[in-house]
Amino acid sequence: MESKVKEQQNIPTSKVQRAAKFLTTGAKVGGNYVKHYAKKVVNPSHTKEELHNNNATDIYNSLSELKGSALKVAQMMSMDKNILPRAYQDKFTMAQYSAPPLSFPLVIKTFQKYFGKNPDQMFDTFTKSAINAASIGQVHQATKDGKTYAVKIQYPGVADSVSSDLKLVRPFALRLLNMNVKELDHYMDEVEEKLLEETDYVLEVDRSREISEACAHIKDLVFPKYYSDLSSERIITMDWLNGLHIKEWLESNPTQEQKNRIGQALWDFYHHQVHNLMQVHADPHPGNFIIQPDGTLGIIDFGCVKVIPEDFYHGYFSLIKRDLLMNEEELNEIFYNLEFISEKDNDEEKLYFKSVFKEMISLLGKPFHVDTFDFSDDTYFEKIFQLGDRISNEKMFRKSRQARGSRHGLYINRTYFGVYNLLNQLQATVVTTKPDWLK
Amino acid sequence: MEKAPAKKAVKTDLKSKIISGYIEHVLENGKEPVSVFKFAKDLKMKEEEFYNYFTSFEAIKSAVWAQLFENTIVNIESQEVFKEYSAREKLLGFLFTWVEELKKNRSYLLSIYKDQKSMDKFLPMEVKVFKSKFKDFANEIILEGKETEEIANRPVISDRYDDALWFQVWFVFQFWLKDASPAFEKTDAAIEKSVNLAFDLMGKSALDTFIDFAKFLYQNK
Repeated sequence: MESKVKEQQNIPTSKVQRAAKFLTTGAKVGGNYVKHYAKKVVNPSHTKEELHNNNATDIYNSLSELKGSALKVAQMMSMDKNILPRAYQDKFTMAQYSAPPLSFPLVIKTFQKYFGKNPDQMFDTFTKSAINAASIGQVHQATKDGKTYAVKIQYPGVADSVSSDLKLVRPFALRLLNMNVKELDHYMDEVEEKLLEETDYVLEVDRSREISEACAHIKDLVFPKYYSDLSSERIITMDWLNGLHIKEWLESNPTQEQKNRIGQALWDFYHHQVHNLMQVHADPHPGNFIIQPDGTLGIIDFGCVKVIPEDFYHGYFSLIKRDLLMNEEELNEIFYNLEFISEKDNDEEKLYFKSVFKEMISLLGKPFHVDTFDFSDDTYFEKIFQLGDRISNEKMFRKSRQARGSRHGLYINRTYFGVYNLLNQLQATVVTTKPDWLK
Repeated sequence: MEKAPAKKAVKTDLKSKIISGYIEHVLENGKEPVSVFKFAKDLKMKEEEFYNYFTSFEAIKSAVWAQLFENTIVNIESQEVFKEYSAREKLLGFLFTWVEELKKNRSYLLSIYKDQKSMDKFLPMEVKVFKSKFKDFANEIILEGKETEEIANRPVISDRYDDALWFQVWFVFQFWLKDASPAFEKTDAAIEKSVNLAFDLMGKSALDTFIDFAKFLYQNK
């Protein structure tokens, strides 16, 4: 009898409901285009800016209602600022902060399920409503014996809906990111794998401990302690970090030295992870960083960790060297290994893509080419945006029949873009350390 | 006088013995007993004794549902926070606890209701008692919601809110029957989402303000 039940793999009702949600968004976005062209007829100077704005609002609204992995995708897209038009960026960055909350009865139910106790039996106090929304859950504040804890609770069913959500997001991603189907699927697999990992809270606690211990020696960094006995598959309990998010902190007018100090801590944190640990906190969005009252940087949320494969690491970073002293053959080999070009390309394509990727990498590698880099330089970021815009509009790129770039690059690029963006927000000048073999 | 309590205890014992005997029979054979005679014989009681408690198998099934309801109520009322809940949270609390009760009897419920078609149109007879009990409970919540203005008082429609909530409970039950997700997480999500929708619909919305405004314009034209 039980086995018969299990045969029914997915739940049609929920999937239909979810699909319906996306359909209405699709209809709205379509409507926005109609409006846009109607206005354009009346007033030819009407810009696309407003259209992007309308689209971004509608898409964001439906994504945030869906919660879970769809929200995650919104976050991802907001991270890759360089590929998205400005209006999408602002709206999607909001996704990093707010989402509809879990009701308190459901929180109790989750506690009952994993601990057999109510939250007020486990803690002295427990906030009834969420203090913060995390991407696939929410955070409550609790106290016990004078200590304050952050308790993260996962939405039920998120793990299960990752795959079906991603399928629903696909058509949007195709349109928004200007990618072809093959290219997108190539990356979607990587995203799916990472998202599934993120729903595993037991793994997250292990990784948080491992990385925070390995980074404990770095100056000006603070990590919360994690409590296994108060955590489970769907609940994580850690120390509550007091402080401000970067945006709020900047409003308190910190001095340039303070900003540089935070920026340097951030750079050192990523340097140590990428070059020494070979695994990296791949989710550098502003919500995961808390600046403490004493001017140190608190880091939370190790849900998304990317392990960097050895060959990928060498290929990727050897391209970042300022003077590419290698000969054409060596360079070709790296390009093949990183899947920028393949045997299927003709000579013209090979030449074109090699030049494009060289340009991209030398631009992104710029901070590595000097000893200290001033990330407040907006013209540098403007150049990255422009390059992204230009490339995504070029014919050769758009009609490319295959995915470009190794799937590992997806999260590494995202991490570096994220770190650069944070440093830009901080207006920090940092000493850009690099490993010896890159000097 | 003295004997009365003892006798009562025996009575409830026999009653629950019949109920659990019936559930066991369904679980082991996948169907109802052939006759009351056979069933009573298996329980080592006389057929006429059976009729002292139940008049048919339908009545037993009905008692199972009533028990599901009572257990749920006892459970949620024992939770300290329940009293502080808003109307929306009370309904959520009820449903989350109720599906836990259902879980304890999942095999039994599956073997009886899994293959029943068009349950959304024709409510099985034995569920009626449960339905009326739930509606009493729902009406209390609705009344409370109206007092706290969580629920908007609308002419005609608001008298049918209890039916709407019942519809929701029945939806959750059917969803849960088909749910194959680990620990029935999908059912939890379905409860959360559908209750939020229901309360958002019942709450004061732009539509109420619009009707009010339209009425005003109509009266003053």
